[in-house]
Amino acid sequence: MIAEKVYLKPHTIEEALEFAKKYKNSFRFIAGGTDVIVNKFQGNDITDCLIDLTEIDEMKSITIDDNLLKIGALVRLDDLQKNKIIAEKFPALIQAANAVASPMLRKTATIGGNVLCENRCKFYNQTEWWREAAGHCLKCNGNICIATGGKNKCFAKFVSDTATVLISMNALLEIADNAGIKIVPLKDIYTGDGIKPRNLLTESLLKNIILPLDKEYKVVFNKLRPRETVDFTSLTTAVSVSKNQEVKIVIGGVDSRPLIFEAKSSSNFTDILENAVKSSKPVDNDYYSRDYRKEMVLVFLRKSLEELNIIQ
Amino acid sequence: MEHLKLTVNGKIYELLVDAHEMLSKVIRERIGLTGTKIGCEQGSCGACTVLVNGEPVLSCITPALRFNGANITTIEGIAKNGELHKLQEKFVEKGAIQCGFCTPGMLLTSLDFLKKIPNPNELQIREALSGNVCRCTGYQKIVDAVSEYADEQNGKTVQKSKPSNKLGIVGVSRPYTEATKKVQGIADYADDYKTKDALHVKFVRSTYSHARIINIDTTKASELQGVRYIALGKELPITFGVLPISQDETAMAIDKAIYAGQIVASVAADTEEIAAQACKLIKVEYQPLKEFLTIDESLNDVGDAEKIHSHTKFNNNIHKKAELRFGDQQQGLKDAEVVTKMDFEMIGINHGFTEPHAATAYWDENGLTMISSTQVTHYLHRALAKTMEVPLSRVRVIKPYLGGGFGGKSDPFAHEMIIAHIARKTGKPVRVRLTREEVFLNNHGRHPSKMTVQLGASKDGMLQVLDADVAIDGGAFGSFGVVTTYYNGVLLQAPYKLNNFGFRTYRVYTNKPQCGAMRGHGAVNSRFAVESMIDDISRKINMDPVEMRMKNFLDSNTLTVGHYRITSNGSREALQAVAEQSDWKNKHRKMPLGKGIGVACGFFISGSALPIIWNELPQSVVHLKLDFDGRVLITSGANDIGQGSDTMLAIIVAETLGISMDKTFVIAADTLITPVDFGSYSSRVTFMAGNAAKNAAENLKIEIATAVSNKKEISIEELNFSDSRIFSNDKKVDLSWYEAVDILVANRGAVNTSGKYISPKLGGDFKGSGAGLSPSYSFGSCVAEVDVNTETGYVKILNVWGAHDCGKALNPMAVEGQLQGSWHMGIGQAISEEMLYYNGLLLNNNFLDYKIPTSLDTPPIYTNIIETIDPEGPYGAKECGEGALHPIIPAIANAIYDAVGIRITKLPIKAEDVLRLIKENQTKTEKI
Repeated sequence: MIAEKVYLKPHTIEEALEFAKKYKNSFRFIAGGTDVIVNKFQGNDITDCLIDLTEIDEMKSITIDDNLLKIGALVRLDDLQKNKIIAEKFPALIQAANAVASPMLRKTATIGGNVLCENRCKFYNQTEWWREAAGHCLKCNGNICIATGGKNKCFAKFVSDTATVLISMNALLEIADNAGIKIVPLKDIYTGDGIKPRNLLTESLLKNIILPLDKEYKVVFNKLRPRETVDFTSLTTAVSVSKNQEVKIVIGGVDSRPLIFEAKSSSNFTDILENAVKSSKPVDNDYYSRDYRKEMVLVFLRKSLEELNIIQ
Repeated sequence: MEHLKLTVNGKIYELLVDAHEMLSKVIRERIGLTGTKIGCEQGSCGACTVLVNGEPVLSCITPALRFNGANITTIEGIAKNGELHKLQEKFVEKGAIQCGFCTPGMLLTSLDFLKKIPNPNELQIREALSGNVCRCTGYQKIVDAVSEYADEQNGKTVQKSKPSNKLGIVGVSRPYTEATKKVQGIADYADDYKTKDALHVKFVRSTYSHARIINIDTTKASELQGVRYIALGKELPITFGVLPISQDETAMAIDKAIYAGQIVASVAADTEEIAAQACKLIKVEYQPLKEFLTIDESLNDVGDAEKIHSHTKFNNNIHKKAELRFGDQQQGLKDAEVVTKMDFEMIGINHGFTEPHAATAYWDENGLTMISSTQVTHYLHRALAKTMEVPLSRVRVIKPYLGGGFGGKSDPFAHEMIIAHIARKTGKPVRVRLTREEVFLNNHGRHPSKMTVQLGASKDGMLQVLDADVAIDGGAFGSFGVVTTYYNGVLLQAPYKLNNFGFRTYRVYTNKPQCGAMRGHGAVNSRFAVESMIDDISRKINMDPVEMRMKNFLDSNTLTVGHYRITSNGSREALQAVAEQSDWKNKHRKMPLGKGIGVACGFFISGSALPIIWNELPQSVVHLKLDFDGRVLITSGANDIGQGSDTMLAIIVAETLGISMDKTFVIAADTLITPVDFGSYSSRVTFMAGNAAKNAAENLKIEIATAVSNKKEISIEELNFSDSRIFSNDKKVDLSWYEAVDILVANRGAVNTSGKYISPKLGGDFKGSGAGLSPSYSFGSCVAEVDVNTETGYVKILNVWGAHDCGKALNPMAVEGQLQGSWHMGIGQAISEEMLYYNGLLLNNNFLDYKIPTSLDTPPIYTNIIETIDPEGPYGAKECGEGALHPIIPAIANAIYDAVGIRITKLPIKAEDVLRLIKENQTKTEKI
């Protein structure tokens, strides 16, 4: 029989967490839902209960709190550019947000949803029929990774353009769960495992994304994709330099987690770039080949560092 | 079920819906507002856009319950009190609508965007619309419409195109007759027909590329509440196919499946959800067989393995071999001072029409009625009669509004046979709607091809010899493949004079979704190869490629080496136009590294002179009926698939009779009511149905003239038909149209006339001479300008200038739309579109992973219509919907050569390949 489906719309975080507890066996939080719903159509999400967060007003505001900017997880990607502080202090975040999906999708998709966007692989983001025909891969309860021709690890790639930029600016996440509120650095949530790429509990909620206002980051963002819109990333890079000349290089789209490299603007970048390229181990799960994406890592990073006047 | 309250277009609805039901489904199925379209079910195409509390939302991926209590505006709510919104008017006026399937989404997206940016520039418009896929227009006219609307709203003076001084109807730009319906979302497409009490069908598809079916267990599925019928392959054993020589397809796999995605069982149930659930409960046991997935594998002897089709001649999977040779190629090679030989490889692509296939079938006292999104009602009519084993007189096929075809709806399809069968078995109407993945699995798209081409020229630039060795990958079934096999070769014999020419083509079966006809059928890939090689030779002999092409063009009124009769020929004018408009002389070989400009030409048939099914029916028949009310009813079997053929018929009839368009009414593509027309393929409709319409109108004109002549005692020759009047020069007779009609119908009643088109006998006396024969040919040129990023290999197309000889533009706005759409589709094949497989499984079966260029990826397109007044075309017209595509791909590739000195031999042109070639080249030379 077709299982009973439930759709809930809590108005507060507490209510949302209560619902999560009640339906803990088979639920999912959805914000914009632009990815989750497609995953449901494809049978990659088979939860019976959807907890729609979009009516929780406390997750929709952008506030300043003691030199920190708090961006509510439900702020829509399209709305970020309307905030003057973000436009002034964190233009790269707007650039990244505007590089996500299409203008239409950005009117529904949220910053929280994009930061926590499910990892993707061309052998996984397929319908149930397709995955059965291909032989289920690791990420859908199979035995091997198809993209690598049989490895015992899932390489589904991290594709969040906004998270890549946010990490380069040392963003923190404010997470609510039944134990209370905790703050964790965004960079620390990644496991490196494509199957379960983040160490957050299913029943925890991302409430705010927090950015330091006093670091005066300059960030160069780049995204590789075949079309100028719509597409998920084949490679995303964000290179930041703070007022203290701390340089952070973040690479998305080439691994199950973002790759992060730290330096000073005075560092010797030859080794750092070499290391970044070497550490980028894309697999063939994308429109572009892994060799090309790896090659582009160096091109993008060089260009970014040049733009920041860090290298010539 | 959950309670849902919505206010839609001001009306309150209280409904019970499933908890996870999408808003699009509620709006379309429960409320019945079908202007909201479903194109991709993943938020990639924008067709499902609605406004929720004033904000645009993609309703196909939005749970309805999210917006409980909300105020929703659908496309049907935009016009107010019978008046179109100004933006809707502008879409109509500017011809921003072709098939109309993306139009509701385009309009709602634009309305929202214009609220925020009321004074946008072109880039902002392209950016704002980049989440809405249009496959017909190339976006140009949509961008123009939005831009001009904004300008008018902002009080800017808009330079209106001058009202034409031309008398009459032909040659005047006008919107499609149904355009106002399409902008309001009230034109019904196949999936918008809601037949009472219909069952819904879903399919079980093979998970193997090549496998024997051992057992199908339907026990559990048949026990599911709401399941009404489960059909298996053996119930439908009769084969079908569009070509009589390739009747190789059954509706479902019977003993074995030959591609992953082939239907092996079909479930009809009370709802789509139940049918889908039942499909999951059907267990199919397979025994895998050796698969043949590539051209090379299928060319080889299969040894002990089992062939895909047992009927093929030899112990391999070759479906068809075609070979023709003309002149003396050996001598040609000797005469050529420069010979170039290259290998090319082009991957398969899909039509990407925005409307997924949908159909409804039912049986009653009149036999079978099938409402389907088809380009060829006539061939579907035949196929249904054959597979259902009923006389042709017991089948009626109706084509509703169609959301694009491009060749992809020009075969009879398995799902049509299946629903006809289940409707008969259950005694109920049966509906089906394919998902986007299923559309891709259905395919019938452009054949992947590999070819080796040799081209020789003398140093004066004259082409001496051409040889093409081609292999194409047909997939699992024949489809149009035999024709495609020939077209890859024969359609190289123009637009240049070639005395020594030959080709050999193999088409192979592989265990993949079948390939068939797609815009520019059969000749797009080989045209890309030859035009690239002409560019190559022009470099080698240091001659401007424009000049070299000019030297080699065939003349008007000549024969090609393979006996094609060339009549009107605007090649030179087309090339001249694009060269001048693009400032070719000052740009070619004169721009800095990374920037380049390229040119190419092409030609195409204007309808196949021979029918697919050999018979003595005319190619096209059009009927007219004129009754006391003075309106001329035009009935034609030609399928308007968004290209505007209904409007074309009305234009021709109105022009011939000298009446205004509002005195015409077109009913088309209903096999019960309309006379046979072979359908919309091979760019035949304007030429053939147009000629039939003209003939029918001339016959009606004689009837009217005779009646008036008898009544007024004036000779027929003295009567003029113009401006809705029938008059003699001396005005002794001066009747309004209605007065003349009164005379006509007096004591007689309604008058019917018929007109037909039969192609002249053409061609040589040799086997294969019929391939590519056409009563006329179109010619065209493109120039493309690109910017190649030498660090990433990314190719940005900056501008496209195109020119096409369409004989006579009956409706210039519609012609421009066809040309721009063709060039856009060519850009897609050139830079991003490809069908990728993993072990025979189509990897990119959706609009996110199949990369159709968006409005942002599509450059401004500059359009030139060349008119040569074809001697046999209706009012001089010939095709413009396919041939224009041919030159654009090589023009882009040649521009890349001009930019960075690399020769492209593989499609699509991916950044990574470009970069690799640039690097290989750097070791050789600087920019040439």
